[in-house]
Amino acid sequence: MIEVENLSKTYSGFRAVQGISFHVDKGEIVGFLGPNGAGKSTTMKILTGYLPPTDGKIRIAGFDVVTDSIEVRKRIGYMPENVPLYTDMRVNEFLRFRAELKKVARRKIKERVEIVKGLCHLKDVENKIIGTLSKGYRQRVGLADAMVNDPDLLILDEPTIGLDPNQIRSVRELIKDLGKHHTILLSTHILSEVELTCSRVLVINRGRIEASDTPANLTKLVRGGGSILLEVRAPSADIVAKIEALPNIEDVEIVLPNDGEWVQATIFGKPGVDIREDVYNVVRANNWPLRELARKKATLEEAFVELTQD
Amino acid sequence: MAFWTLYKREFTSYFNSAVAYVVLFGSALVQGVQFCFILSAVTAENYKDQSIMQIFFDWPLFWLLILVQVPLITMRVFSEEFKLGTIEMLLTAPVREWDVVLAKFFGALTFFLILWLPVALDLTALQLFSVPPPPVYWSQIGLTALTITLVGGFYISLGVFTSVLTKNQIIAAVLCFAFLFAAFGVSLLRWIQHTDATVLDWVSYVSTPEHLQNAGVGIFDTRPIVFYITVTAFMLMLTKSFLEGRRLKG
Repeated sequence: MIEVENLSKTYSGFRAVQGISFHVDKGEIVGFLGPNGAGKSTTMKILTGYLPPTDGKIRIAGFDVVTDSIEVRKRIGYMPENVPLYTDMRVNEFLRFRAELKKVARRKIKERVEIVKGLCHLKDVENKIIGTLSKGYRQRVGLADAMVNDPDLLILDEPTIGLDPNQIRSVRELIKDLGKHHTILLSTHILSEVELTCSRVLVINRGRIEASDTPANLTKLVRGGGSILLEVRAPSADIVAKIEALPNIEDVEIVLPNDGEWVQATIFGKPGVDIREDVYNVVRANNWPLRELARKKATLEEAFVELTQD
Repeated sequence: MAFWTLYKREFTSYFNSAVAYVVLFGSALVQGVQFCFILSAVTAENYKDQSIMQIFFDWPLFWLLILVQVPLITMRVFSEEFKLGTIEMLLTAPVREWDVVLAKFFGALTFFLILWLPVALDLTALQLFSVPPPPVYWSQIGLTALTITLVGGFYISLGVFTSVLTKNQIIAAVLCFAFLFAAFGVSLLRWIQHTDATVLDWVSYVSTPEHLQNAGVGIFDTRPIVFYITVTAFMLMLTKSFLEGRRLKG
């Protein structure tokens, strides 16, 4: 659905995007992650044909974004960051206007507007002026606008920013539902959202793609793919020495040095190896009283921090 | 198709804001007061050399009104889109820049023409209530209406252009007023003594008051028609390039 080759964008000397390449297949929900100023919004604006790329080739649904811009724009629904809307229009009026503008067949406009209003729970505000709506409702009007022409590809720039937890949940459910029939590229800062909705994650930092994988695989990339928390009553030095002697151990960190009392340690194993049994055997062999042995699952947040921090 | 959709939105959006009603009210008031004033003066002095319409369009207040009306109509057309960020939403829909520029131009022009309806009402009232009714010269009325439309088109294209330059509506309005004043000010050379005769010749090509006077007496002249259409088209092309430029800059 999206093929990006070697895309670069330079703003008056500043290289916002530096030769990135990626592709998104039909039916995927891809999360676009990265710190502020990483180049997410710029990339999205280029994909929608709003900004021209400085270099590189982008094809959406087989059409070139630069030379076949109109054809590309017919096939995408874009929700820009901060959801700009005509605040003087009523919700119904606005959605009809957008449907007409996006070349929805005249006899289908009414039907499409009804469908998106239903999907985005806008029926109770359909006759209100957009300027009087709360942030959450405006966000949903923006989403309804993006979907009104039933596009093959949805590009959503931070669709849940500024929403309350209930609204975030309902938008997340909506995106999951939409993913059954549409291809979606969404950017967000909320990592739990990506873990729950996206089939793949693209991590971008300083204009470069740092990683592209499923959320599960990305968390495995993080040191040890998760670590083990151990709490025993033993001298710290002993713990470090004896556990580091095991195979498949990368590092042992003492979190709470408290010699003679309970000591907490974090143990990092090699990627993909479960070291819990080995650790337990060491504890038993040394007769250390054991209070806790638990696996800490690496979160996407840790993956994100590790990939985007230098 | 996209043009028509955008045009409808542009035109109706005027009536969603209070500015439109204030401008409409102000214009009707100024036009009405001027009309009454001229009418009573003409009646009192039994003035027969010129028709009411001719005097009306030669009246300085009339020009002042246009110079204020146009910036108020056009200041928001692009500035507001840039300020709200809606330009991004607009230009990522399958529309061409030309559709957007033309829709905004014709939307503003239509609203401008509506501001002139009160004059038509004033003239109709004159027709209905004078005994005997004054003779009606359709060629003069038609030519005057055409000239107002063409002049309005040119001035509005200037206003639309200044609006694409900035996201601040006030700056757009002030710039527009300055440009209009320059475009109109050229015709004032006629009243300055010792102006060179060849300069005066040139001035008459571009002098809007002269064009309206000619139309008022029923002289059909193609030169102003070509002039206004050309400069309007030029301003709209400039607007389109600046719109593209602003977008490409990011």
